[in-house]
Amino acid sequence: MGKISSMKLKGSQNLRLRLLLSTLSSTPILIEDIRADATWPGLRPHEVSFLRLLEKISDDCVVEINETGTKLKYKPGNVMGGKHVVHDCGVSRSIGYFLEPLIVLGLFGKKPLSIRLRGITNDSKDPSVDTFRSTTLPILKRFGVNPEGLELKIESRGVAPGGGGEVVLSVPILQDSLRAVTWIDEGMVKRIRGVTFSTRVSVQFENTMIHAARGIFNRLLPDVHIFTDHKAGPLAGKSPGYGISLVAETTSGCFISADNAVCYAQGEEEAEIEDEEKKDLIPPEDIGKQMAGILLGEIEQGGVVDSTHQGLLFLLCALCPQDVSKVRVGKLSPYGIGVLRHIRDFLGVKFVIKPDPLTETVILKCVGCGLKNLSRKVS
Amino acid sequence: VGRTASRQNTNLMQLVYGKSATMATASVHGSVDEESDDDDDDEFFKPKGEENKKSREGFDVGDADVEDCSKFTIPSGKNWKDEEMIENIRDRFVTGDWSKAARRGQVSE
Repeated sequence: MGKISSMKLKGSQNLRLRLLLSTLSSTPILIEDIRADATWPGLRPHEVSFLRLLEKISDDCVVEINETGTKLKYKPGNVMGGKHVVHDCGVSRSIGYFLEPLIVLGLFGKKPLSIRLRGITNDSKDPSVDTFRSTTLPILKRFGVNPEGLELKIESRGVAPGGGGEVVLSVPILQDSLRAVTWIDEGMVKRIRGVTFSTRVSVQFENTMIHAARGIFNRLLPDVHIFTDHKAGPLAGKSPGYGISLVAETTSGCFISADNAVCYAQGEEEAEIEDEEKKDLIPPEDIGKQMAGILLGEIEQGGVVDSTHQGLLFLLCALCPQDVSKVRVGKLSPYGIGVLRHIRDFLGVKFVIKPDPLTETVILKCVGCGLKNLSRKVS
Repeated sequence: VGRTASRQNTNLMQLVYGKSATMATASVHGSVDEESDDDDDDEFFKPKGEENKKSREGFDVGDADVEDCSKFTIPSGKNWKDEEMIENIRDRFVTGDWSKAARRGQVSE
């Protein structure tokens, strides 16, 4: 292949995004100083797991990690996709961590992707699998992704520390490219939906969460339905936990989400756990109220997506054909800003970012980089 | 023309893309080329500190290992039981004042 010059980066920040953009733009990357000064230096188990997953679904990609895991060389290959792929996500981060890059990567594959992911379905760090179903997938559809073949099935649930959940993600391939959007009408909230779950605890926890959340919404909107999903036996995974995922749907087809889950601490930073072990778990009533409040906070922001989905929104805009996309968000989230910077570095797409003082929102405009699904054409 | 447009929204553009970004009105930034110009054969033997001057004005060094999390929760100590808070967002719901919501949409083209 001769010499391909690679982009040099530092640190563990935005690793998934960097690998994703590297793959989509066929730019090899070299990341140095990955947690070089940390007590436990180098890549974390979930990061290595994600690299293995990339190897699984693409052809010809090369991953090199140095002995301490502080240096990573990645040469992207072609995304192949394929059916009946299985991947164990481990228990250091939840399945949501893997789903976020996968749903974009899958679109640019040679064959539709259908993958079974095992691990943690709900936690407080990453968007839960319920939020993916209710909010993330509709955002993709907005950009012209074929709704047929785009789905996420939750087969069993699992929370930290044991995991044991299982989901099946299907992503269709793009026949050509995405469709640019003008998406600045955030609409008015017409209904609120949601789902609670409980694993290895009483279903009563769910009723309490729902009751608390409803209590806050009732003064604003009658159309509120929150479903329960109580799992038992092997479908409940290996650890006890409960949580709630809420979504507000607006008259203009926007989905605004908030979710959280409660369980015993995840076993990553062993040193810290001893201190935190005594920390009380948040009671279901508080979780219900808290999430209802956060959802209202997101609605107040007035964006077409919530803070969590800003990154995905910007990424999809940048991957569009060379048309203008225009979107409205609330306050820019730190992750969203990181995504904007990486998009500039990898795809050469720069957004025009204008505040809209009257509504206290932000309007972003960009011309897509015109990425086509090249893998599809390669024979 | 490009200059005036960019001056208007200096703040956010600067916040995101850093200071130098306001000068470059073109949509394509040079950083991609700058970085890939380096020969990658000897990238494992770079003297330390050389790559410190990366085009990442907005970040401090301490941020390089910031956790990779898209989930962002708006910090709010708001009490949604409060009548006033509820009234503030009432018009964001279909049960609120539709004409106000419509005006919201119009002001921004």
